[in-house]
Amino acid sequence: MKENILIIGGGIAGLEAAAMLLRLGHSPIIIEKSDRLGGHVASWHKLFPDMTPAKDVVDRLTAEASGANIFLNTEISFVNKLTDSYNIMLSNGISIITKVILVTMGFSLFDAAKKEEYGYGVYDHVVTNRDLEQWFNGKDDPRIDNSAMNAVGFVHCVGSRDEKAKNSQCSKVCCITAVKQAIEVKQKFPDASVYCFYMDLRMFGKKFEDFYISAQRDYGIRFIRGRVSEVSENIEGRVVVKAEDTLSGKPLKVTLDLLVLMAGMVCGDSCTKVAGMIPLPVDSDGFLKSKDNIFDVMESPKEGIFYAGACTGPKTVPETLAEARAAALDIHLYINGLE
Amino acid sequence: MRERFLTGYNDFVLPFSLGLIFIISYCVVGMIRILHQLPAEDRKRFFISLVTPATMWKNIKDIFLKCLIHVDIWKRNKLLGYMHSSIAFGWFMLIVVGHIEVFLYTPHRVKLFYYPIFFRYFVAETESTMRGSLIFFLMDLFLLIVLSGIALAIIKRVRSVMFGMRRTTNPSFFDLVGQYSLWAIFPLRLLAEAFTADISGGSFLTKSLNYVFTSFLSNHANMLPAWWAYSCALGIFFFVLPFTRYMHIPTEILLIPMRNAGIKIRNARKGFAKAEVYSCPSCGLCIDACPMGVMKANIKDTTVYLNRQIRRRNEARIEEISDKCLLCGKCTAICPVGVEGDKLRIAQRSIRKYNLNPDYSNIPADASGIEFAAHEVTAPSGRAREKILYFAGCMTALTPVISKAMESILKKAGADYAFMDRDGGICCGRPMFMSGRFDAARMLVEKNTEIIKASGADVLLLSCPICYKIFREKYHLDGIRIIHHTEYIAGLIADGILKPSSDDTKYVYHDPCELGRGCGVYEAPREVIKSVGTLVEAQKNRKESICCGGSLGSLTLGFDKRRAMTENALANLVTESPDIIVTACPLCRSTFNRYSDRPVEDIAETIDRKITKTVKS
Repeated sequence: MKENILIIGGGIAGLEAAAMLLRLGHSPIIIEKSDRLGGHVASWHKLFPDMTPAKDVVDRLTAEASGANIFLNTEISFVNKLTDSYNIMLSNGISIITKVILVTMGFSLFDAAKKEEYGYGVYDHVVTNRDLEQWFNGKDDPRIDNSAMNAVGFVHCVGSRDEKAKNSQCSKVCCITAVKQAIEVKQKFPDASVYCFYMDLRMFGKKFEDFYISAQRDYGIRFIRGRVSEVSENIEGRVVVKAEDTLSGKPLKVTLDLLVLMAGMVCGDSCTKVAGMIPLPVDSDGFLKSKDNIFDVMESPKEGIFYAGACTGPKTVPETLAEARAAALDIHLYINGLE
Repeated sequence: MRERFLTGYNDFVLPFSLGLIFIISYCVVGMIRILHQLPAEDRKRFFISLVTPATMWKNIKDIFLKCLIHVDIWKRNKLLGYMHSSIAFGWFMLIVVGHIEVFLYTPHRVKLFYYPIFFRYFVAETESTMRGSLIFFLMDLFLLIVLSGIALAIIKRVRSVMFGMRRTTNPSFFDLVGQYSLWAIFPLRLLAEAFTADISGGSFLTKSLNYVFTSFLSNHANMLPAWWAYSCALGIFFFVLPFTRYMHIPTEILLIPMRNAGIKIRNARKGFAKAEVYSCPSCGLCIDACPMGVMKANIKDTTVYLNRQIRRRNEARIEEISDKCLLCGKCTAICPVGVEGDKLRIAQRSIRKYNLNPDYSNIPADASGIEFAAHEVTAPSGRAREKILYFAGCMTALTPVISKAMESILKKAGADYAFMDRDGGICCGRPMFMSGRFDAARMLVEKNTEIIKASGADVLLLSCPICYKIFREKYHLDGIRIIHHTEYIAGLIADGILKPSSDDTKYVYHDPCELGRGCGVYEAPREVIKSVGTLVEAQKNRKESICCGGSLGSLTLGFDKRRAMTENALANLVTESPDIIVTACPLCRSTFNRYSDRPVEDIAETIDRKITKTVKS
């Protein structure tokens, strides 16, 4: 009899792991709480650094994983631990007995309204990185003016590296996302002034640095080192940003048509919930705790439970895919070892 | 009663007498020094208050109720209250009744101050003293009361939880010596008096004990060591008293009239501050109260230890303790003797010298941007028609959701308002004041005063309790009313100008330190919340409300340390499982919002959400 493999979360990690497991001859089950696959990436427009359409990525992954047993709109109701396996009750009434679980529940976007000083949800022209991506995807947003924009600002590290906001970790991908989104805005509105307010720029990945230099050289995007101190709204409803340019040591005030908050990554809400049911330990950064942070990142401290993707910490798309494949291989070896 | 000895003297009175002379001289010198250290006007005010009948009466009442009966401790915990008043009041009555005895039976010995204390040694009972008279009975009764207090004190050392205290102070070496000698005094007195009870007479306690003793200790020569021991215990207690926490007993008698005279801390170490520091009984109630004490952290940074370090002149620790404090004022609110932990710390901070001193003189005090009647004013005449100047303050500027809600409420009320700092304003001065930089704060106060006076406003409306406190205490605005938005909204609802809709949502109200303990505003926000839903209370509320941990007061506490405090304060708020946490301070709101599992709102947001109808005149 084939072992059941339960993949919790139908984002890119879950899909890629499922595809790999199918190729290795297993028949994984994916459960996804929303009504579509692809997770966060599905709501994104283009991916850095080559401006790959996110839709292409999700479509390809979905096609490759189509052989898996997929339940949409399904959540975990409760988990029972049996002697050597888990009995998992789903919200659609199905119960699954499995020895192997792959957790791919990913991250949640930090709630930007928790940084009250930026006025998300209060001012008319303050959006998050996700709102902007969805607008790029053609979804209308009353906060974003489709016709003309003179000035746009990006605030880095919103809810990342911020102890006050209960998240002291770096979310890793927002620096490069801001560069990408700034370029996209500039492409749409070539005359607009685009500002990025940052504290550090962490251009660690392949071609990231080139991308960043191109943003400055080819697009004239202004990078200002200094955190935004105060955001207000003027009488016309435009956003007024006060910040300090710490390189020139001068205070600065700009009036913008749109302010984009680069909300960071925190461990997913449902991830924390499910982790509580099994239960799985949570590390000091708020994400799930691996058995070992060097050798066994994809293994949980519990027998038979594996991780892939952003549930153990912020990751880029290629990193997530690599982890998903690695986790699939780990599971394959684990199942072989059981027999 | 007749005297047993011609001289009325025995060597054993020496330890007591020397001790008493020492402690009285020490207290007199100390009192003169403290009074001398007061600024001349305060000293004058103090002396005048001593002869003003109203304060005279208040002083007597306060000293009786606080020093002897300890009413504040009774209110807190009955057992703790009984322990304190039994020792203090019982001892006091032993001294009073002891003197009455001397007056009655040996009036010629009144001039010997030790005589009432050792009366039973020097006299023998005669037929005319009416055996078992009321006085004998009273003496034994009060001794029994004191002994019961001492027994409780010993139990408290072992199990303070019984007395409503989770943690108590670590006694210093001298505190222990003082404590043990104090504990020894009364059992030894009982022993000594019991030895002589068959000669000098006694009542139910001493007499009965005497029967027990005579059965195996018939020799009266044994009584002398007991009297020596009693006198020594008293002597040791008096000699160590200035170096122990028990110094609070005499100092509080000075502190109460000083406070009633309206004297405030003017110098970090001298005068009134010194009186407060020495009045600290080291009871440790502030340890449980301190919001920094979550997870048993920062216990040595509470007010009781500040007072100890000030007495020891340990400058490094004084600075550390003073800078760390959140200035939430809870220790001041619960202190049974009224030591002002927050003000003492601000005073310590003010001693420090800075190399850079800000100069705000070049900031223009410009009121030209303030325009009233810029919006449609529809409010009915009277209070609602006043010109309201809204000062959001920097914390509200960082929480724009509050100023936006407030502006919406003002519009809905049809009020004639103007925004004082929409496009940036001058700081109210409170953060500078909290860090002890009074001159810098004063400059800001003067600038703002100029702007407010020039604006022509009738009312100054504030959203931030931090600003509100300094506006109330340090600004002189010539008749311009200063109100916090909780009071303003409560007024609008009471006047029927705002009619919020009500539902069954459960709200809990968090008392911000600066608004509650700082300004005494407890009722207005509660009334406002009751008009829109069900109000539930936090476990600790009003004057015992727990600081959110975000306070500007601390100069050194990092966010990693504050996190536990915020989580603890939140846990205190949600015991009645409210749906929404409401507060009235932008800083509390943003601090809680990041850690809370349920919505956190400012009271202005709540009300703005619940008002749909606008006022039309």
